[in-house]
Amino acid sequence: MKSILQTRIIFWKHQIFSLLFWLLLPIIAVISITLLSESIQEDSNIPVGLVIEEDTPMAENLKENINQAAMIHVDILDEDKALAQLEKHELDSVFIIRDGYQQQIKKGSRNQLITSYSSDLSFAYTPVSEMIASFVQEETGRSKAAYTVLNLAKTHYENHSWTWEEIVAKSKQIQMDQELLQTTFTYANSQSEETTNSILIWNTWGLWALFSILSTFFLFDWIIKEKRSSLRPRFAFIRYSFKTYCLQNLIIYTLLFLITDLIAILAFNIILGEGIHPTDVWNVFSFRLMMNSLVFLIAIRVTNLIFYYSLSFILTLIMTISSGVILPVERITNHFPLLEVIHPLQIFMDANVHHIWLYVTITLIVIWFLRKEKSNAYGK
Amino acid sequence: MLTVNNLSMSYGKNQIFSDLTFTIHSGEIVGLVGENGAGKSTLLRVLATLQKPKSGTVQLNNFTYLADKNKIRRLIGFVPQEIAIWDEFTVKENMLFFEKLSWKKRSESELRQFCLEMNLDQWNKPVKTLSGGMKRKLNMAISLIHDPYLILLDEPTVGIDLKSKKEIKNYLHDLANNKGKVIVYTSHDMDEINTLCSRVLCIGNDPFYKDILKKAGKNIHVF
Repeated sequence: MKSILQTRIIFWKHQIFSLLFWLLLPIIAVISITLLSESIQEDSNIPVGLVIEEDTPMAENLKENINQAAMIHVDILDEDKALAQLEKHELDSVFIIRDGYQQQIKKGSRNQLITSYSSDLSFAYTPVSEMIASFVQEETGRSKAAYTVLNLAKTHYENHSWTWEEIVAKSKQIQMDQELLQTTFTYANSQSEETTNSILIWNTWGLWALFSILSTFFLFDWIIKEKRSSLRPRFAFIRYSFKTYCLQNLIIYTLLFLITDLIAILAFNIILGEGIHPTDVWNVFSFRLMMNSLVFLIAIRVTNLIFYYSLSFILTLIMTISSGVILPVERITNHFPLLEVIHPLQIFMDANVHHIWLYVTITLIVIWFLRKEKSNAYGK
Repeated sequence: MLTVNNLSMSYGKNQIFSDLTFTIHSGEIVGLVGENGAGKSTLLRVLATLQKPKSGTVQLNNFTYLADKNKIRRLIGFVPQEIAIWDEFTVKENMLFFEKLSWKKRSESELRQFCLEMNLDQWNKPVKTLSGGMKRKLNMAISLIHDPYLILLDEPTVGIDLKSKKEIKNYLHDLANNKGKVIVYTSHDMDEINTLCSRVLCIGNDPFYKDILKKAGKNIHVF
């Protein structure tokens, strides 16, 4: 192995830039795409001014709800500044939580709780104001429900010690625990869908996997270059058969890829905030072993370099389209549920550590290697 | 000593050669001549263990080809007709690359000295910038890194200048005369065969080669 590594290092010295490029491409591409899309999303958020005249839990809660809304960038300002910016069209609209907001809600008032301003160029005023109205209605509804519970308790339980605040807090707790507003509905006897959270978690790794497929293909072109017919006869007179040479190089490349994958895991954790769990690490490693074995098997069958490069682009494109990483594929997978079970990327994104293709490809490599030993015995 | 007995080779119904029997002793340089398609390269490949004969036996010292193929391969240096080197590497890197994979360990200084003996003195030059003659020398040097006993050369001087041809010939003479190697050499250049080889094996029925060799007073075996 040491000798093979030394020969490989001679190659790498001549291909250092392309080697580093293809090794780091998945990491750099994923980080760049993610940061760029985040930046574009940030830039395209609708600027909304929010004026908070009172410092109460309800006003704070409303501010948090608006802040968490997608596609909205909230600026907390005083009224004069907010209106000045609205006049200059620096803000799409302005919403003012007036002093006495919490008190009004507690009183059961549902009108005139928020003051809003828009300009003749406020294209998002209607949806934003409706969204804020829905948050306010949620609060007023909760408050009214709390008073109803209190009145019922007064009527039926003389010794109750509940307060309005406790009922509201309990209501919020139940809403959060049971995800009342995020429940997904499915038909009876049908499989429930995954929550969106898991898809988002694996999107980074989905992108990484796509770029990794391409980079693996391009880094494995050595197999085709080195099995040139003019050099093959030399392998009869050296310590290693050509297949042993290829197999040991596969191990070296796999180790190099695994080190790079570890760097990817760390980089995604530090820069993109992706979690690091032992099962995720093993999932990445098992995908890497599968991908290397698969590309190796393809490369040893292909003789034409142009065909090989074309094939690598075509296979990456097919994987991209069929995996659901970039485009939704629910319609396809609904018709062909088997696709989710056999698609290498789907298995990876489902975080299934038992990658069926890993076992298949390793078995095929073993068969390929053993077949060689038999044919060599006759001096071919 | 290389001993060949009743060696026959055919591709399907096409007989390439049949019943070849000859012996080559240590220190001998034997030429292999014949018209195109007569089977020179095929015979060389059979002697190099790269092809299995249809019938007959080949023995190198005490090893028989079929039984001791792996031991025999360590004793063979095969110089292919096509230049089989890494174009993107330097001379040094090519030598180091094949030394790492070779049966015999050699230091970098030994490898360099080995190249200098063949007048291959452009150690750090990329192969792609070398002349045809230098590439041929490197092609040969790589095949000889493991110090083989039987050296099989398939038209090693095709397309190179006279000076390089002479240097290669001198080197081969030295290997045969001073180191006792067995050398089998194919070429279409009859002058080269006449000056280099002590004996000639002529494959095929073309009288052209026989006449030239007879005029030159060569000891020839016709098959």
